Amino acid sequence: MEKVTNQIPKNISLSELTGEQRGLLNKILSPVISLSAFVGFWYLMSLHYNSQLLLPTPRSTFTAFVLFFKTPDVWKNLLLTLERVLKGFSCAMIIGVPVGLLMGVSKTATRMLDPLLGCFRQVPIMAWVPLSIIWFGLGNGPTIFMIALAGLFSVVLNTIVGVRNISKDYFHAARSMGAGSFSIFRHIVLPGALPDILGGARLALGGGWMAVICAEFIATSAGFGFAMVEAQTRMETEKLLALMILGAFVGYLMDKCICAAGNVLTQWK
Amino acid sequence: MIKLKVEHLGKTFSRGDDTRVVLGDISFEVEDRQFVSILGPSGCGKTTLLSILAGFQDATSGNILLGNRKVSRPGPDRGFVFQNYALFPWMTVKENVMFPMKQQNVPREERERTAARLLNMAQLDGKENFFPKELSGGMKQRTAFIRALAGRPEILLMDEPMGAVDFQMRQKLQEELESLWLKEQITVIMVTHDVDEAVYLSDRVIVLSSKQGRILDDVFIDLPRPRDREAEAYEKHKTRLNSLLRKAFKEI
Repeated sequence: MEKVTNQIPKNISLSELTGEQRGLLNKILSPVISLSAFVGFWYLMSLHYNSQLLLPTPRSTFTAFVLFFKTPDVWKNLLLTLERVLKGFSCAMIIGVPVGLLMGVSKTATRMLDPLLGCFRQVPIMAWVPLSIIWFGLGNGPTIFMIALAGLFSVVLNTIVGVRNISKDYFHAARSMGAGSFSIFRHIVLPGALPDILGGARLALGGGWMAVICAEFIATSAGFGFAMVEAQTRMETEKLLALMILGAFVGYLMDKCICAAGNVLTQWK
Repeated sequence: MIKLKVEHLGKTFSRGDDTRVVLGDISFEVEDRQFVSILGPSGCGKTTLLSILAGFQDATSGNILLGNRKVSRPGPDRGFVFQNYALFPWMTVKENVMFPMKQQNVPREERERTAARLLNMAQLDGKENFFPKELSGGMKQRTAFIRALAGRPEILLMDEPMGAVDFQMRQKLQEELESLWLKEQITVIMVTHDVDEAVYLSDRVIVLSSKQGRILDDVFIDLPRPRDREAEAYEKHKTRLNSLLRKAFKEI
């Protein structure tokens, strides 16, 4: 009779894994462990307080989250808010990049604008809310203004750094090859500062996303932030928590998008 | 024919009452198609001299004549090869090589033709669309060299073009540079602190002293090319320059 060889592999113990496999396992397991620990802690605390108003359980929050997929209102508010973010962010870029480039190349411009920038930057962004309501009323106006303002400073400052960090050799090289001022701006300053400009854009978008939610708490009657206040006043804490989680996801996705765009634009790096 | 004339060039840096003479009174002439090295200990002002020739810095006194024209600002008549190559990282190899020609409004067809010829000469075929970060040290150097040539300069200025590479690589790069130069036959002024490099590449070596940046000696190297590093005459030149360099160093 033929012998049947045993095809089932014997149990693999951790010590038999190669270094690479162990690294991969570690990479997957570590965040899973910390996240489950957090949710476990949340669950225990919700049991302890035993109040859907104070701290809903992870399960009811998850249910509220799933329910979003059946409520168009949530998405309508989210889209409205995203539209505001994009508009405000665009304003920040359209104003911030040229100002930053100018300050990066011109010492006079820096001397003139630096004190102004330094002062305005110190005003907490939320302190602009009352004035922006006076100026723009309620709705899109103040929110877009706040997002633009929140992003403007990081765009300007990063652009300046980007221009100043370009190696002097590149300017010398371009000049010794016959390049004029415009050509140097177009072929050296712009591409050389681009990685830092994109860094500024990333901060501006993140900052804008934070600012818009806060602005919507106060200065509007629609949008993602408004939906959160609504959930709070209706005492639907599980919906509020679910909205917060959704907000985190959206912010994360926006950040990933801008990083991906940056990688495409600066392949040479 | 005299290509470059340097007349009583001086450079002093001053800050408050403190003045430091970097270049004393430098005068020399360079023949057309000559490969001249400027050799000296670090701090002797050789890089300052080169950057004044390129127009990146102003001289305190003296004149530079290229052909019969006085030059002071940077210009495409003087090609420059930087120590770290200074290839524009956001441009591909080909875009880098095309850049000087674009700046001088060379017609597109001619641009393409010249770029193709130079890339082929530097054995960079197939690497046209690489970014500098994707190149080896040798390829970077060759790109920098042909980029400087692409602008049709009358003279090439090179600042320690092999400064950033290890010894083995250095010899290989020197040989590559020599063969490229033999094909182009352009006037070159190269700054170096490496005696072997100076002897291997140059027709003539100007030794600077570190004391007040003056010319200590002017040595002609009349050896057949490509040069044999093991030849007796080669060794002799090295020994002589080494002792000059020691002397230059002691003069501090």
